[in-house]
Amino acid sequence: MFEPTSHEHNVLARASLDQCVKCTICETQCPVMAVTPAFSGPKFVGPQAERYRHGLSVDHSLDYCSSCGTCTLVCPQGVQIAELNSVARAAMKKDHMPLRDQLISRTTLMGKAMHPVAPIANGVLGFAPARWAMEKVVGIHRKAAMPTARSQTFSAWWKKHTPATPPTRGKVVFFHGCAGEYFEVETSRKTVEVLEHIGFEVVVPKQGCCGLPMQSNGIFDAARDHVKKLSAALDVEPGTPIIASAASCAGMLKHEAREIMGVDDPALVTVGARVRDVSEFLLALAEQGELPLDFTPLDLTVPYHAPCQLKGQGMGKPALELLRLIPGLTVIDAEATCCGIAGTYGLKKEKYAVGQAVGKPLFDKVREINPQLAVCDTETCRWQIAAATGAQVVHPVWLLHKAYGLE
Amino acid sequence: MTDTIVIGAGLAGLGAALRLAQGGQTVTLLTHGLGGLQLGQGTIDVLGYDDQPVDRPFDALPAFVAGHPDHPYARFTPSQVKAAVDWLAELIPDQLVAGDGANHPVPTALGAMRPTYLVQPSMVWPHPTTVAVVGPRQLRDFYPTLVAANLERTAGVTATAYHIDLPARPGEADSAPVVYATALDDPAFLKRFAGLTAKVIGKEDAVLLPGVLGHRTNACARLAEALGRPVVEAHLAPPSIPGLRLNEALTALATSLRVRVILGSKVTGFEAAGGRVAAVTLHQAGRDQVYAADQFVYAPGGFESGALELDSYGHVTEALFGLPVLGADREDLITGDFWADQALFATGVGVDAAMRPLAGATPAYDNLYVAGGLLAGAVRWTEKSGDGIAVTSAVAAADAILRGE
Repeated sequence: MFEPTSHEHNVLARASLDQCVKCTICETQCPVMAVTPAFSGPKFVGPQAERYRHGLSVDHSLDYCSSCGTCTLVCPQGVQIAELNSVARAAMKKDHMPLRDQLISRTTLMGKAMHPVAPIANGVLGFAPARWAMEKVVGIHRKAAMPTARSQTFSAWWKKHTPATPPTRGKVVFFHGCAGEYFEVETSRKTVEVLEHIGFEVVVPKQGCCGLPMQSNGIFDAARDHVKKLSAALDVEPGTPIIASAASCAGMLKHEAREIMGVDDPALVTVGARVRDVSEFLLALAEQGELPLDFTPLDLTVPYHAPCQLKGQGMGKPALELLRLIPGLTVIDAEATCCGIAGTYGLKKEKYAVGQAVGKPLFDKVREINPQLAVCDTETCRWQIAAATGAQVVHPVWLLHKAYGLE
Repeated sequence: MTDTIVIGAGLAGLGAALRLAQGGQTVTLLTHGLGGLQLGQGTIDVLGYDDQPVDRPFDALPAFVAGHPDHPYARFTPSQVKAAVDWLAELIPDQLVAGDGANHPVPTALGAMRPTYLVQPSMVWPHPTTVAVVGPRQLRDFYPTLVAANLERTAGVTATAYHIDLPARPGEADSAPVVYATALDDPAFLKRFAGLTAKVIGKEDAVLLPGVLGHRTNACARLAEALGRPVVEAHLAPPSIPGLRLNEALTALATSLRVRVILGSKVTGFEAAGGRVAAVTLHQAGRDQVYAADQFVYAPGGFESGALELDSYGHVTEALFGLPVLGADREDLITGDFWADQALFATGVGVDAAMRPLAGATPAYDNLYVAGGLLAGAVRWTEKSGDGIAVTSAVAAADAILRGE
């Protein structure tokens, strides 16, 4: 096995750079390049600079890449631009990883620290002088969206939970992710209740973080450990679907850990093939005529934002199709490239303004379509959109839960 | 389940998807990356050259087809081609100027005049006597002096080159076209751009600017108003902003008609039974996913997208369905003469009248249709025929499906 940040391990991604025909489609779609001259664009720092790297960093503007993956998504030639750039950035930061990036990529640690003292933690995060100090000392922008700690974790709820109806069809494994354990507890709970309502027996193995925040900060060794541990934990009930309510974490398991960090692990391959985003899973059921459609009409018009790491899974926008099955509900695709948070990118004091500029077209759309309520599949994006617009931003499963009359 | 799966999001794929959706079908469009419209110029060619520049493409088609009996256009009457292209223009009337049967001359990045059929409003050539060619020094790949000198030779005008100093963003010395296009969407930047341009130019009849005049706004019209004379967008090397605008307009129309677009995964296989394609396999994140449909429109492009492959032994193959490639068995696929017609370029898939790919004399599959650059017999880039072929074959395939053929 090669050193994870070496170029050799990523030999497939590097081979793909020879497929670059310099069409520059990636530049026209890059949300970061569109708003700042600090990033010279995916083509320059990717397939072009890669030819000159030989293990050394030749263009430090690479640090401004948000790893949203839009370049890889739109490339007609199959060049793994974002993957190349993620590896090169990890190599660049390897010997001087900022403490801040170490801290903010530990979602589980944050959750564990905050939930026992949730009201205090939330109070501190809402307290301007404390945020000023955080910016000065740690480097997290004072206005950046922070998660709200919950007094009850998902696991604590799950332990006391009994299904409202006995199961009528097979089992599914539920993957809630670490934010779904500590911060997005409601989303986790509603996902379970919807799955149980339509007849599934839900199995919840004890699980940790997928390592995505560490990966996107270039902390590959720790990220690989996390994703391997998680794969082993989720690799239960062979053959059953693993349902995720955290779209980005699902993408980590499906492909990112393998394509970006070269993780070579049989459990990850199995789990990656079994993971379904919850909307992807329910839409597939609907297409087979196996999803109950006895929805209560919701008289609502809501904007929908498909997160980058959901789009990167190359399956379209299943939530958009799924929510359109609910009568009365009008879902408008915001058609925005990125919300600007890109995991932890938009929290950083030097990148906060870039993240806000990236997200502006989306924020404007949300304000225009429904300033009260918006829908998005990934938690950090929801926090970002909510902080910028003041709208409540919910996972698609919230609307299904309501339409099934589960409140 | 979806009625029809369209593979490819270039002009042929988008055109077929739009036509089918208009006809009431549910359509899923599968595309590996963005389609090729941004790599074109945001114009719609029908026939630009038959050795010599063509003035009226539909009038020229009968003679052209007589000289090229295996050409995709040989399957259609000129009025079929015109109806398809007119249909496209009517779909996005804000982006395309309706055609009147004559080609428009449009200035290229080098200052040659290229004949094309449908243009965007910003490209209508006002047939000036004198032209000011103006470019910001901080924009990549637009050279007013070169363009002006060539325009004098090719367009019969007196052209004068001017430069302005206006970075799209503070401190940026060589901005990409998209950065200028976005900057020009901002009224304050547009005002500065217009002010500097007005200061340097003379009394020329018209102003030629690089093709960056607004991404989401019609900056061209605002500049024309500010400068008090016609303003024309000249083409640049890709990425083309006018092509980007066209791509976004057609894609937005498709999604508004509920075409389900699945971007970012490659179609890597298919299942067939009883002479029909049953499903295609999409190589998605984590796994291969099977997508079934009643019909399939295959619009992947040719060599440029990898749909046609040439191996080191000189074998040409169609990469997904393994369709027979016409002209592939010739000995002289590539000649040593750089300027000669290369037989390789005309290789592609042969089709019946319903655009079904042929294996011998009969369709390879009853429910598989081909449109666009994969079709055999055209050298799209020298004929300037690719867009017309794409739209006409897409409409023909969609109409055959809608008629139940």
